[in-house]
Amino acid sequence: MTDLISFLTEPFIQRAFAIGIIIAIITSVLSVFVVLKRVSLLGDGLAHSTYGGLALGLYLGLPPLWVGSLVAVLSAVGITKSQRTKRIPGDAAVALFLVLGLGAGTVLISLSRSYGFNLESLLFGSILLVTPEQVYEASLLLALVLSLVLIMFKELVFITFDETQAMAAGIRTWAYDYLFSVLTGLAVIISVPVVGVLLIAALLVLPGLASLQVSRSMRQSMLISIAFGVLSVILGLVGSIILDTASGAMIVIAALGILLTVGFSKWMKRRMILGQVML
Amino acid sequence: MSLYNPVVQLENVGVSYSNGFQALTNATLQVYGRDFLGLIGPNGSGKTTLVSVILGLIKPTTGSIELFGEPISRRNLRRVGYVPQKTMLSDTIFPSTVFETVLMGRTVRTGLFRRFGKEDYRKVEQELEHLSIQDLRNRRIGELSGGQSQRVLLAKALASDPELLILDEPTSGVDTRSAAEFYDSLKHLNREHDITIMLVSHDIGLVTKLSNRVACLNGGVCFQGSTYDFKINPSILAEL
Repeated sequence: MTDLISFLTEPFIQRAFAIGIIIAIITSVLSVFVVLKRVSLLGDGLAHSTYGGLALGLYLGLPPLWVGSLVAVLSAVGITKSQRTKRIPGDAAVALFLVLGLGAGTVLISLSRSYGFNLESLLFGSILLVTPEQVYEASLLLALVLSLVLIMFKELVFITFDETQAMAAGIRTWAYDYLFSVLTGLAVIISVPVVGVLLIAALLVLPGLASLQVSRSMRQSMLISIAFGVLSVILGLVGSIILDTASGAMIVIAALGILLTVGFSKWMKRRMILGQVML
Repeated sequence: MSLYNPVVQLENVGVSYSNGFQALTNATLQVYGRDFLGLIGPNGSGKTTLVSVILGLIKPTTGSIELFGEPISRRNLRRVGYVPQKTMLSDTIFPSTVFETVLMGRTVRTGLFRRFGKEDYRKVEQELEHLSIQDLRNRRIGELSGGQSQRVLLAKALASDPELLILDEPTSGVDTRSAAEFYDSLKHLNREHDITIMLVSHDIGLVTKLSNRVACLNGGVCFQGSTYDFKINPSILAEL
């Protein structure tokens, strides 16, 4: 226990908690909309496109994070455009960007022959190596996401509830759709150091899905989703320190644990109510 | 705007989809202020396409359309309320109470960057009371019956203070008693609050009972006139 406490005072651990909590708030806010808009695989598609972008940056000798960000934003716009024009089914559009990013990324990484490059940290995250600059960038994105969601909250809720009705009311739904996808793309690129490319989708789905099981209003589901997301990061990081395992995977396991606990409590509550009615 | 100026005016409107399917041909239609217009036609006759054109969801391939004497814009769409088919509310997980759902109707009235204010909350309370659903205000929308859901969607549409209310098969799948209560509310809105109503339905009996004017659609508008003229003209029914 004393070891754990002294470990927690280390600056790199504090940075890991700071960026983990910041990213949990960003992804948890977006996750409620991701689940309700039925675009749960959007995070996966964007994460794999980002992988391609990071690999491209590495291959070209440009800053991978900048190239990855650009590819994430372009992919977000591309997926949304494909989904809105309905020329191909929405899930197929996500799959297209996913395989393109993964395939091209793997080829580019092989071609770049960068020996100092750690592929595992890209795929599964390396939160303990986070720099103060990354914490600062994540804070800026947090401010951007929270401000935009607060400003557009009532429009986002209306569009998520029923896009056709929102369009009929004169709301420019396409603009909100693109903006939401781009924000998700930025959330993905900033999340790579925490959970890695393969597990980002979990942060964009699990907190929102768990909160929707117990909340009665949109505001409530946002707050509960944030609480679940932050709790997942704290439990996951502490668990990874104690068990000496990959932090990204532990965060996802913690989030899954919360979802299962919430689902089980709900099931128990329903059974108890049913039991009382039968008596 | 005078009662004699059309609230909705369609001139030779045609809609064809990218696959070549012609959903609407030369549709000409006028809806006047305080009308209760019933739009009827068999399945696939273009009723929903026509509504989509009026709501600005689909751009017509040919012809012109005006709302309140002007081309369709975001500004004049704010004067229109829309109640979709019941099936739209199939998402039981959506975390919204009845109060919050009706409040969504105030979104366009309030405007971007502004939060809902006292006037918005007052209007929602008024509509809940008006449609006798104030007891449901804290219930989650996904827990409601079909009839209750449709009343909530009607309250949501009314919360935006519409001058024209468009309803697309609003009670399909709703039990008879709830549907009758729903249509009583519509009649009241039309007569006591001067709201122009356009009701899309395939139920000819219902439309002739409620509306003062009827339009029949079968690819194009094959009849429009008073309900009385419609009733005494059996050839139209045969065409449908």
